[in-house]
Amino acid sequence: MTATHSPRFEELIPAYALGALDGDDLRELEEHLETGCAECRRQLDLWQGDLEELAASVTPVAPSAQTRERILRVAGSSPRRWAPPGWLLLPVAALLLLAVWGVAGQVRLRGQVERLAAERDRLEQRVASLDQQVRRTSEALRVIASPGVQSVVLAGLGPTPGAAGQTYVNPRDGSALFYAFDLPALAPDKTYQLWIIHAGKPVSAGVFEVDQRGHATLRVEALGEIAETDVWAVTVEPRGGVPQPTGEMVLKG
Amino acid sequence: MELRDAQEAGLMGRIAAGDGEAFARVFEVHSAVVLGLLFRMLGRRSEAEEVLQEVFLQVWTQADRYDSTRSTPRGWLLMLARSRALDRIRWREARRRREEEAAVSGAHLELVPPLGTERLESAERRDQVSSALGLLSPEQRRCIELAFFEGLTHTQIAERLEAPLGTVKSRILLGMNKLRQALSSAS
Repeated sequence: MTATHSPRFEELIPAYALGALDGDDLRELEEHLETGCAECRRQLDLWQGDLEELAASVTPVAPSAQTRERILRVAGSSPRRWAPPGWLLLPVAALLLLAVWGVAGQVRLRGQVERLAAERDRLEQRVASLDQQVRRTSEALRVIASPGVQSVVLAGLGPTPGAAGQTYVNPRDGSALFYAFDLPALAPDKTYQLWIIHAGKPVSAGVFEVDQRGHATLRVEALGEIAETDVWAVTVEPRGGVPQPTGEMVLKG
Repeated sequence: MELRDAQEAGLMGRIAAGDGEAFARVFEVHSAVVLGLLFRMLGRRSEAEEVLQEVFLQVWTQADRYDSTRSTPRGWLLMLARSRALDRIRWREARRRREEEAAVSGAHLELVPPLGTERLESAERRDQVSSALGLLSPEQRRCIELAFFEGLTHTQIAERLEAPLGTVKSRILLGMNKLRQALSSAS
């Protein structure tokens, strides 16, 4: 039981304070002291106070003038207030400057690298966006600039009178480009569907969503035979589209 | 803690803050007794002065470690000095130590002249401790001195004195208790 204070420890403490304890006695007391016994700690301090008297009972000896000077010089020009010799100042200053410059340079370079990386990411996105625009514009130009291209304007109907549409049809290959403007966004389970009504029969030309501005572009391929008299229409249909129009018509032209 | 101890504890705080005047003051007050202890333990003046420098360098650089709740500044200095001296003793060869002991007997000790009441009080206290030690049996006193000034343990003292271990232990315990009684009745 090393944790409980006992007279046994009190007997060991004087010799411990003296530094004479060894072997099992020392181990036993040290284990006990590690438990933080306040009484033993107090007694140890008392014994050390007595030993201070024993230590101080020696005959005093005055330090030599040399020792005295050396010791007092420690405090007079201590490491905390150490002044380097003049010849050392310049190289030390140069080294310090180099070190500061080096660290500052690294910090500055790291900042630049981070800024350049961010700029590179931004430009990559910009390039991708421009690529997409160029591709769309090229496709549009290919359709619009084709010889014999036909343009049909679609007007807004009942619920969306402000909306409009435009189709460019290339009668040679049956491809077409459709643009929608100012159509309202739909519920998630709905979609816009483009139709071409040829000889009285509606044929699906695809489904599309509008962006935040209500705009949309739809590329239509291989529609087959398209006549100038064909009617273009947009209806609201269940998401995914339907084979035959079932919903309300919002554009027609 | 007495008023003077409290004032000196304040000096330790100033030393920790880099106050050279406070350091000089502590040196003036305690260097002689610290060197006396080192000389008593190491037996050679030059070595004792070397260790004195080490001790005061430690005071200058580590005064923040001084704990006024555990000891007086003098007690701390003496324990630092004793610890350093014991390190030296432990690493010293027995033959070399015998040579140095011979040097001690031939050395001229420069006794510090008593200056002012401080020194007189120290001298009085020293006499009291000497008287207290005088109350111990020569065997008890020898055992305590071997442990304290030479750093020997129970077992080493028993070997040195060729005495039973139990006897050494009880001499030290009885001697320490007698020392305390004498010191407390003296103060």
